Amino acid sequence: MSSSPGTRPSFGSILAGIVALLAVVGLLYLLVRYGPEIVRSFFPPDPVTSQGRHINDLYTIVFVIAAAIFFLVEGLIVWSVIRYRRRPGDTELPPQTHGHNLAEIIWTVIPTIIVIFLFFISWQTLNTVEATTPQPDLRVKAVAGQFQWTFDYLPADGGADTKPLFSVTAPVGKDGGLVLPAGKTTHLYLSSLDVIHAFYVPHFLFKRDVVPGIVNQFDLTIDADQAGQTFRGQCAELCGVGHRIMVFEVHAMAPGAFQTWYDGKLAAASATPTPVPSGGGGGPVVDLTAKNVKFDKPELDAPADAPFTIHFDNQDQGTPHDVDILDGSGAKVFDGQDFPGPGVRDYGVSPLPAGSYKFECSIHPTFMFGTLKVQ
Amino acid sequence: MATTALTPAASAYRSGLYEWITTTDHKKIGILYLVNSFIFFFLGGILALLVRTELAQPGIQFLADEHVYNQLFTMHGTVMIFLFIIPMLVGFGNYVVPLQIGAPDMAFPRINALSFWMLPLGGILLFLGFVTGGAASAGWTSYAPLSEDRALASTGPGQDLWIMGLTLIGTSSILGGINFLVTIFKMRAPGLTMFRLPILVWTVLVTSILQVLATPVLTSALIMLFIDRNYGGGHFFDPQFGGSAILWQNIFWFYSHPAVYIMVLPAMGMISEILPVFSRKPLFGYKAFVFATAGIGALGFSVWAHHMFTTGQVFLPFFSFMTFLIAIPTGVKMFNWVFTLWRGQLTLSTPLLFALGFLSMFLIGGINGAFSAAVPVDFALQDTYWVVSHLHYVLFGGSVFGVFAGFYYWFPKMTGRMLNEALGKLQFVLVFIGFNLTFFPMHQLGLAGMPRRIADYASDAGWNDLNLAASIGGFMIASSMIPFLWNVLISLRGGEIAGDDPWQANTLEWATSSPPPPYNFDRLPEIRSERPLFDLRHGRTRAITATSDSGPAPEPTH
Repeated sequence: MSSSPGTRPSFGSILAGIVALLAVVGLLYLLVRYGPEIVRSFFPPDPVTSQGRHINDLYTIVFVIAAAIFFLVEGLIVWSVIRYRRRPGDTELPPQTHGHNLAEIIWTVIPTIIVIFLFFISWQTLNTVEATTPQPDLRVKAVAGQFQWTFDYLPADGGADTKPLFSVTAPVGKDGGLVLPAGKTTHLYLSSLDVIHAFYVPHFLFKRDVVPGIVNQFDLTIDADQAGQTFRGQCAELCGVGHRIMVFEVHAMAPGAFQTWYDGKLAAASATPTPVPSGGGGGPVVDLTAKNVKFDKPELDAPADAPFTIHFDNQDQGTPHDVDILDGSGAKVFDGQDFPGPGVRDYGVSPLPAGSYKFECSIHPTFMFGTLKVQ
Repeated sequence: MATTALTPAASAYRSGLYEWITTTDHKKIGILYLVNSFIFFFLGGILALLVRTELAQPGIQFLADEHVYNQLFTMHGTVMIFLFIIPMLVGFGNYVVPLQIGAPDMAFPRINALSFWMLPLGGILLFLGFVTGGAASAGWTSYAPLSEDRALASTGPGQDLWIMGLTLIGTSSILGGINFLVTIFKMRAPGLTMFRLPILVWTVLVTSILQVLATPVLTSALIMLFIDRNYGGGHFFDPQFGGSAILWQNIFWFYSHPAVYIMVLPAMGMISEILPVFSRKPLFGYKAFVFATAGIGALGFSVWAHHMFTTGQVFLPFFSFMTFLIAIPTGVKMFNWVFTLWRGQLTLSTPLLFALGFLSMFLIGGINGAFSAAVPVDFALQDTYWVVSHLHYVLFGGSVFGVFAGFYYWFPKMTGRMLNEALGKLQFVLVFIGFNLTFFPMHQLGLAGMPRRIADYASDAGWNDLNLAASIGGFMIASSMIPFLWNVLISLRGGEIAGDDPWQANTLEWATSSPPPPYNFDRLPEIRSERPLFDLRHGRTRAITATSDSGPAPEPTH
């Protein structure tokens, strides 16, 4: 690589050569060792919706064309560098080519044809993906706020402003998330309580911003064979300090199982709401604070077989939290009412038998939880 | 005209700190731009290293919480764009353009100094946020309504300082643009017709038009945001009070997409100077290249909404089509560069290595653009690490490689001394490998669904290895700065003496001494093509003529 012949290679050039050599060897090793995984990583996750499959097909076409152009041009560059190096005897100038009109026309016209082709197929795919049916099987409104998702299930003839039949407030977990029937078409409305968020599920190959003041909407049809699967979703637009915790899950259910779940939720919502257990009250006071979507304590202590009070201070502006207590089997033994911060509430908890319990915020169960020791 | 005002006042070229602060010499101002930009490059780089350190493993291990994290990436983006890449390229323009057109200085030397001094001031305002309760933390894009009030973004006065800093930097950019336009249109040497201009001058010309037309739009958005935050209660951008959240994005990107070309066109110009010199051939398709540059500049104003495809508030086919169209002039440039190398005689000196780095990396960044232009594919990729990868392949793989190519190329002209070749190659190898190790895996991370701007990710999401690789690469890029700084240090003191024209170059800056005297030239060679020094060296023009106005020379015969 030495450019000035006659000088002996210095420390710097030797080091440069070693580093370059190591990089090439490392790359070759990775390609041999993880070849199939590397090839797979150039493609999006397997699509699980009919819309996502169309996007995946389009991606593949764009990828193949892009890869061909990449190898052509990169190949020309590498070839030029290897083949057209200046040699010691080169005193005469190389041919002084100033240009070539036919060549310019060729590399203007061919790319033009390619991009117009790409434009038309992406337009076509766009129309398919954006198409909505007037009679969807289900209408759901995803409501995003700093920093949680709520899923409102709407009446069949409803719209974004219709009062929901019932809501799922926990974005993840077996009692939470967006539950959808596989093989059926859901019409989704997106609504924001504060800033811009984005509804993004990698396996859908799709995202759409949740913009305050605007209701975005689209159709989603999870493939029938995906029943029983859970897909992770996440907010994809920076929305503040809790951006990373705005995760949610999409549970695809077989239509029968979905109907059972749906009817159960419907019945629960129309029944008289169970009063918040306040039977206990009084007793010793346990302090707990929520800030930046975290509890301040990983562990709480409470007396066995006696009522006690959780003095809960939610310091997160605009973000609702609550405190639920779960026993060893995961059953809820206390269900605190959620409320947005900043605010303070005293939860009176009825006597609990001695043992180890889990406490959590039902809205952010993956980030806000701890152990309650009752003894 | 170039022939007037050539007698410097005796006191106009004192050395020392006072001279550097008060100078109106375009060369000194150009060097001030470069030094200032490199300082902010290192600061922005440190911010990026902090981000990469946190992301190396799942979990929040390194930083206190997201308050800090959001400030880091916001400031990293802001600093790298507004205080490094844009001013760095303006610095090269400042130094090189008057020399390349045979002018004694910029058209408005004092406005030139003013443009520069607004930059460090704006930078200080931006960084003051860190000591006043938190720097801006709504991302460099500062989307409303997150950026509207403190409760939503959870920061201190940093966002207001960010607005003020960027307003200053924007004003600097507008003044600089006007200065370049007047300089290029009015101060060219006799015989230097528009189609004999060096390509760098053409790219600075188009960039200046973009700056003058687009930057005031950003300034208006900044002022509206400032009013919303401090006086008006959100009537512009907060839907709660009758504003529109999307309006911010439309105005912001109407500037910030052309800003991508502000950040990359001059770098394209720089490598278009370097490739012909180091392959001993003229640039292939000079006129096609000029038209492609102008085409990119014009199309650049009609594609802003491709940053907003997922908002649901954009007429998608139009912006998709316009975005695809940009690929055509960009492709023309790429082929012209490649065929400049073709059948040439290449000398692999450090400037050419960095220029080849530009070609091969910008190629990836450019091809990636087609994925984003295909709207449904963008639905999958937008706001994931894929976009982070794409923008770094354009702005680092393109612009930053171009900056280093230019730095190695013009350093001998600026200082009279050569940089050390071995250290240059070591730097190139480290930065080239480190860059790819950092940013290539981000393609895969984005495809796998990792959103940008998150401080943490689930350990079972399958993103651990790629993130670790990216973080290692980040530190490798940082390590490449050691040979670079060492090289500058030792070369300034004891580098090989460069002479007027160490590279056997083509353009007028190499016709004067290194470093050039105040007011640059007392005599100029005859100009009959875009390569006056080449013509002179190979006996195609007379040796040296006095710079009298001899009228336009006849078209060259090739």
